[in-house]
Amino acid sequence: MVKVGIPRALSYYQYYPGWKAFFEALGAETVVSPPTNKAIFTAGNARAVAETCLPVKLFFGHVISLADKCDYMFIPAMRSLGKKAYYCSKFIGLPDMTRALVPECPLILDPEIDLNKGRRSLYHTIYSLGRHFSSDKGKIKRAVEQAEKAHLAYRKEMSDRGITPVQALDEMHRDEGKSYLEPDISHGLSVAVIGHPYVIYDDYINHRLISRLQAMGVRVFTPEMAEQESLDIAMTKLGGAPHWSFEADIIGAGEYYIEVKVDGIISVAVFGCGPDSMMMDMVRHRTSEFRTPFLHLSLDEHTSDGGLITRLEAFLDMVKRRRKVCA
Amino acid sequence: MRIGIPQCGNAYIIAEALVQKLDNGENELIVPPATSHRTLDLGVKYSPVEACLPFKLTLGNLIEACQLGADTLIHARGTGVCRLGYYVKEQEQIIRDLGYDAHFLTLDVSQHKFRSIMRLMKDVTNDASWLKIISAFHFAMEKLFALDRIEKVVHKVRAVELEKGRTNQVYREAVKSIGEAKTVRAVKNTTKEHIKKLDRVPKDPTADPVKVSIVGEVFVVLDPFANMDIEMELGKLGVEVERTMSLSRWVKYSLFLNYLGINEWKEVHEAAMPYLKRDVGGDGWESVGEKVVYARNGYDGVVHLAPFTCMPEIVAQNIMPSTKEDIPVLTILYDEQMAKPGMITRLEAFVDLLKFRRKRRRK
Repeated sequence: MVKVGIPRALSYYQYYPGWKAFFEALGAETVVSPPTNKAIFTAGNARAVAETCLPVKLFFGHVISLADKCDYMFIPAMRSLGKKAYYCSKFIGLPDMTRALVPECPLILDPEIDLNKGRRSLYHTIYSLGRHFSSDKGKIKRAVEQAEKAHLAYRKEMSDRGITPVQALDEMHRDEGKSYLEPDISHGLSVAVIGHPYVIYDDYINHRLISRLQAMGVRVFTPEMAEQESLDIAMTKLGGAPHWSFEADIIGAGEYYIEVKVDGIISVAVFGCGPDSMMMDMVRHRTSEFRTPFLHLSLDEHTSDGGLITRLEAFLDMVKRRRKVCA
Repeated sequence: MRIGIPQCGNAYIIAEALVQKLDNGENELIVPPATSHRTLDLGVKYSPVEACLPFKLTLGNLIEACQLGADTLIHARGTGVCRLGYYVKEQEQIIRDLGYDAHFLTLDVSQHKFRSIMRLMKDVTNDASWLKIISAFHFAMEKLFALDRIEKVVHKVRAVELEKGRTNQVYREAVKSIGEAKTVRAVKNTTKEHIKKLDRVPKDPTADPVKVSIVGEVFVVLDPFANMDIEMELGKLGVEVERTMSLSRWVKYSLFLNYLGINEWKEVHEAAMPYLKRDVGGDGWESVGEKVVYARNGYDGVVHLAPFTCMPEIVAQNIMPSTKEDIPVLTILYDEQMAKPGMITRLEAFVDLLKFRRKRRRK
């Protein structure tokens, strides 16, 4: 069977179930790289120029770890997922950067996803992607339908059950769904963690932030646990028409969780992230209007868990005391 | 209306020219003081930490304009993958938080550019007649093209002048007198006169300057404060500087020729194709293509400028080393922490390398 490699990085957390359904319907098998580890980090870090942000460096590491395990590498060039809303440059340049930095990479499938050009052009892109596997137009069409169904089911699963993409994907990888232990919420503190999925769900980047918070007795909310529609409404309220395709996940989630009155908000960004440098500031501004406790974590390859834990503990102490005083 | 604008190189001269011709007694143009360390400090103080240098500098300019009483601020806006699209949203909020009552007028620099610039002029001038607007526009463009023409000559002369600093002196005079010129004819005359003056600058006839091209992100390439006078510093080292990007070129193509289907970057984009297949926002695609083009044209080196954390240029920087066309590239990233001596040391080392390479190639 033809094997398609999918690096476990960047868009993986949002779209993997859809991609998997698409390729499987076309008779290909998907191979995913292992969760980020030190070897992946070292390999990626050695190839990219220093200024590149950590998640993109890790992406190259994931590609390297998959290079000899698959026949094709699937790296879409994500330009736009909505009218006049764009992705970061690095997502668009990803296939070309990979070609330049990882010459051993097998043939790259790099469809350019640009919804700004309209649906027709998207169909065209997907057909030419599908033609690598099948010349049957009907089969490609069915694969697209399967992919859409899988993606929507995945999104709904997360918002209905309040689980993170990692949990949802883990259940999918296992043969039978084994549900997760309910986190200990004895303190009853609720904290929203906002940020890009590839930052808040990659345990290597964020030093197991979510499980650490859960272990400290906090109920954690992430953008995926809210319905897409509520995020979109919240985003429009705070920032107007979006400039970035992922604005709903950051600004929308920020505004949404401020409004539903969680006890605190933690924004997580990686150092050097262009879009976040502006968006997180909008959220920070909003939290000060609502007087919601806010912690901004800027992570990079030098972040150590010691410093992170101290900041988390101090933040939670502050939130707890504030709740006591305000109660 | 008291209109404030951000600074970028000589662009304020153009704005002054427009206002001078369109003045109806109601408007006042507030050109903030030339970008200085005070501007930078203001910008850095009120910007998000990780914002890029152009954001911080233009914010500083706008705050200084507000301090001088501006109530309408003009800023560029782009739709595309770069942060520029977010500037106005964010700067509007910062300026409001600082307690200034100013509203933004935006100039779309990525789509419908001609319409956007004309609408902006109509808005600002309270519906002046088209004839008046077009003649003012013509006058301003004359100045813009004159400035860029002088600059091109200066780049060549500075590298071979015998008496260091002579060219800069003439250049400063030229900028001043073009800025002060009141008619199209005066602009033309003074340009000619200064080009003649530059011709008369004593030159070293034996000099064979190293040729370097400057590519990269448009703001740091065009603004001498942002790029720490890199063109002048290279000139001092006896390097002939070439740069494709200029405001006049942008105006010529973006506002006119692109509508006729002429794309000024066509050759550059085609050169970039084997390495970067698509536009990545900002000037990333052009940077990669220009490297290839200049390598083919026999230049000695490329200096690639970008603000620290600039997304499109990071893509370009990652791809550049892998091109088949071999030419040394020095990437300089600018932020508020950078000091000029560090840049000069790097330029000196780079120029030494280029001279050495040239000698070896000629043997």
